[in-house]
Order: sequence, then structure tokens, then C-alpha cells
Amino acid sequence: MKILSPLDSAAEVDQLVDAGAGEFYCGLLDERWHERYPVISMNRRPAGKGHFRTFADLSEAVQRAHDRGAPVYFTLNEHYYSAAQYDLLWQYIDEAIGAGVDAFIVSDFGLIAALQARGCRVPLHCSTGTTVFNRRSIGFFRGLGVVNITLPRHLSVEELRSLSAHAHGIGLTVFILNSRCINVDGFCTFQHGLAGREIPPMYRNACMLPFRVSAFRMQEPEAPQALPPDSCQVRRQKLWERVHVDDHPCGACALLDLHAMDIGSVKIVGRGNPTERKQKDVRFISGLLEDIHTGDGSRERFLQRAREQYAQVYNRSCRPFMCYYPELL
Amino acid sequence: MTVAAIRGADGIDLMEQALYITRSQQLDYLRDDFSRLYFGAEFCERLIPAVDEALRVAAFAHERGLGLTLMTPYVTDEGLDRLDRLFGAVCSAGMQLEAVFNDWGVLDLLRAEYPDVVPVMGRLLNKTKRGPRIMNIIDKLPPECRDYFESCVLSAAPACDFLKQRSVSRVEFDNQLQGVRLDRTDPVIKKSLYVPYVFVSTTRFCLAAGCDDPACVDYVGVGPCERQCREYVFQLDNPVMCVPLLRRGNVMFYVNGRLPDNLAGSRFDRIVVQPEIPV
Repeated sequence: MKILSPLDSAAEVDQLVDAGAGEFYCGLLDERWHERYPVISMNRRPAGKGHFRTFADLSEAVQRAHDRGAPVYFTLNEHYYSAAQYDLLWQYIDEAIGAGVDAFIVSDFGLIAALQARGCRVPLHCSTGTTVFNRRSIGFFRGLGVVNITLPRHLSVEELRSLSAHAHGIGLTVFILNSRCINVDGFCTFQHGLAGREIPPMYRNACMLPFRVSAFRMQEPEAPQALPPDSCQVRRQKLWERVHVDDHPCGACALLDLHAMDIGSVKIVGRGNPTERKQKDVRFISGLLEDIHTGDGSRERFLQRAREQYAQVYNRSCRPFMCYYPELL
Repeated sequence: MTVAAIRGADGIDLMEQALYITRSQQLDYLRDDFSRLYFGAEFCERLIPAVDEALRVAAFAHERGLGLTLMTPYVTDEGLDRLDRLFGAVCSAGMQLEAVFNDWGVLDLLRAEYPDVVPVMGRLLNKTKRGPRIMNIIDKLPPECRDYFESCVLSAAPACDFLKQRSVSRVEFDNQLQGVRLDRTDPVIKKSLYVPYVFVSTTRFCLAAGCDDPACVDYVGVGPCERQCREYVFQLDNPVMCVPLLRRGNVMFYVNGRLPDNLAGSRFDRIVVQPEIPV
């Protein structure tokens, strides 16, 4: 099982490989795109941190990664691209190929079709944006020649086990750390980063904004009955104001199960994180993978070790609402 | 906006009109102008109708000469198996069917096992940007950026070819606030417009499930469900949103009952009327 690490500069390649990263994913946004589309990304990350700025930088990063035996995947994973964007998109695709990237991470079925129509030979990985929740979806994308699928976040360990049993001839990637989106990423039509940080209501994730919540009982649709504002139904709807999706969510306890399922890669989110944070994340996961390889196979001991390591590395205890796989807690 | 107001809009008589219900009790909304019935679950596999209810609705549609479109959600393997049984039952009854798919695995199932069912790509897979905050800035954006928000995947010819190669010749659209430009899309692919509830986002971490149990207030995950989504609707207001958001079950919507100005020339040929939030 490899650790798929975020990458946004050539300078951090060696540090992350030394920490245990086996493969990288990255994106690029430069002025050509930003001028035309100031609030729209090419790769699901708003403008700002987390992007390579030039293909020269990317090329250097790819070379360094290849020297260390690690492939680099380039994100073209926006949910849809319009026809008008393709002239610029092809420039980026051609330059990414020139930089030596090992795969494109894609989400838009139109882009998959366009790449194949063009005879593009760069392997394709499905982003979580392709919303593969079942065995037939795996087969559908395998039939399109996709070689890897990043599964959605909202799957349980047992659901992953069911999917992995049908993943013949295609690699599977599973999220393991950070950014546990509350909505299904691939279906969410909210747009992040519509302004800079200086305008928080436009910058922040829409799902986590504070809302005034009104609750209605709908026994008679034409005459809904309002519930009191302090009802538990209302309090539950304000959950996402109390829980931040980036407060170190973690799925490390599932590593033993994921390893047994032959999951190919575990993905750490955080292209925009500082290198030190990326290193910490990679080291945390690689340490536990090492435990799996050298340990006695005891599930109980592994789970205990994972929780102890999480507490030690991130200085916080495991919390069910930050757990990718709360059924394991 | 009421069903009657939608149905009285200019140009609507030139379009096929479909009534979208999620429960057989909602058949009471049917009026003479509707020539098609949409029925099923669009967002949650736990709401996939029981076979007997689906057969009742199908028989109702058949007796009245209505077209029938089965609505399907994104599904895990468990949901896929339920849909397989549902399609098996409804197709065995000899009904001519359309099915809206919001999951590529469901399209795969339809093509492999139910080739006579006409597949329609649902609005979850038609991934435009619908968050209302866009409207705060859309008039200030560079024209290419605005064009993007008004465009859709069908503006790209390879996307249309992809669908046609898979026998998909209809795609569902939301009546999003910024509108949608269909002038560059392939006319062979027909388009339906859903009114007035616009889909924005969905989750498996349903905040309706268990919402009347104080012990579940802070639970995050795919929890047990007693279909509280059928009982409660939540309105979410924030000044940055130009319209209230509505959460029902695992879905977030907003309301846009204002139809495109030139409906007859809009390239939509079907309007799908949602008399209630479709959960």
C-alpha cells in the first residue's frame, strides 16, 4: 500500500519521500487561467496556496520524484469543464505531459471522452468526483480504461471491502487523513473561494457557514408546523458550525483493514499545507504501515497504537466526529 | 411558486409536462396537463420505493396513458441490488419505462440488464455550479467566468458523444438562479427543466436521520434512519445567500420558481414539476 501525498513544490519532494510518501498528486494554476477564471479552479482548489505556479517547477518536481521512484499525478478534476475552457485546458494538458506527469486525475466525463478522442496515452485516474459508490461504477470506469479510482469519503469499512472485492485490474485509492467533507464531494455544487479571506462569508466553505435555522414538521405539507429554535432537531442542523471538517480528521485505524483488502493507495489531503505538516502526516501514516508489516497482526494492538500515535502526533485525542471510520472507534 | 402558477407560465403548453412525486400519496397533485409521471428516490438509497408501491404507481400511470420515469439515486452495492429488483419487477409488468440515473453504475446496470429502459442522465451528474453565493458576484466577473457558470458539460461535444454512445438522449437540468445556456449543446440530446426546487448538495451524513433524538445531536456518520426526512424540513438563512437554503433529509435545495424568460425557445422540451421537496 502506498501513501499518496499532496505536493506543491519541487523542494518538498525529497522530504516527503523520506517521510514515506510513495506517490504524489498536485495541481497547477497560473495567470493564464486566473485572468480568465478568477474564482474558478481547474482542479478543485481555489487560487492561492497549494498549486504549482509554473510548468518548469512542476517538471523539476516530477524529475526529483522519479529519481526517488515516486510517480506524480496531475489533477484535472473539476466537476465539469465548458467547451470554452478547452483551448486553455489543452495547453495545460500538453505542458503537463511535457513535464512528465504519470497520470491525470479526472472527474468530468466529458474530459475523459475528450482525452480519449485525442488519443492521449497518459493513464487516467478517477477523482473522488466521479462518485464511485458501487461495484458496477468500478466496472464502468474500468471499461473506459481508467487505471485507478479514488473512492468517495462517505463509505464505511465494510462498503470498501465490498468494493475492493470487485476491483480486479484497477487500483483503488482511499482517503486516510484530512478534509473530511461533509457533503459528497463529487455532487456538491457549492463553489468555494468566491473571494479572498478578507471576505469570510464568500471565502469560507458554504456548508460550514453559520445559518439561522428554522425547522418545520411536515405532517400537512400545506400547513407546516414550526419547531422551537432550541429543539434538538434545530441543534442537529447546526452541527457543521460546531465541527470543522479540517480539524485533523483521520482514518488511520482502518489501515489494517485496508491493507487486508489490497487497497493500493491511501490519500492524504492537503496540497496547501506547509511542508512540515505534510511531512508529519506522511510520517504518521507510514509509521503505522510499518507497524502492520512488522507487527504480530493483532487488530486490538494495532488500533490502540493508531490512537496513541494520533494523540502523540496531533496533540488531540480521537474524536468520533473527526473519524473517517467511526465504526472502528 | 405553486404548481398552478408554474403550469400557467407562457410557453409551457409547448412542453411535455411531468409531475414528480416521491410517494404514491402525492398522486393527488396530478392534473390533466401532465403527460408523464416521475416517481422514485433521487438522493438516498434508503428511500428507494418498495416494489409493490412502484408497481401501483406504474399501473396508475399505465391506466391513464401517462409516461413513467423511475427516479434513482447514487447507490452502494446494497442500493444497486434494490434497484435491480425494482427494475426487474416493473419491467416484468410490461411497462415502457424511462429511468433517471444519478450514478454511472446504475447506467451500467440498465444497459446490461434492462436495455429497453430509456436512460436519462440526472441532475446530480449534470454538474453545474448552483451555490447561491455566485449571484453576489456574477455581474462583476470577467465574461469568460460568467459564461462558465451559465454553461454545462453538454457544451463540450465529446460529452454529448459520450452520452449518445451509451444511448442517453435526455439530460435533466435544474432551474438555477444564473440560468443555463443551451445554445451550444447538441440538439439531439433533449433537456428537461426541474422546477421549483434546485438541487445544491447532498451527503450520506444525513442530519435528518436521528434528529429527534438528543443523543444524536453531534453524531457524524451514516447512522440509523427512521425516515425523519419525510417529517421535517429545515430552512437555512444566511445574509450571504440571496435565497434561503432548504435542507430535507440528506439534500440541500433552494427554490427558484422563476422560469426562463423565453421558455418556448429555451431548448427545454420537458418541464418536471416538483409539488413538494422531492425527498
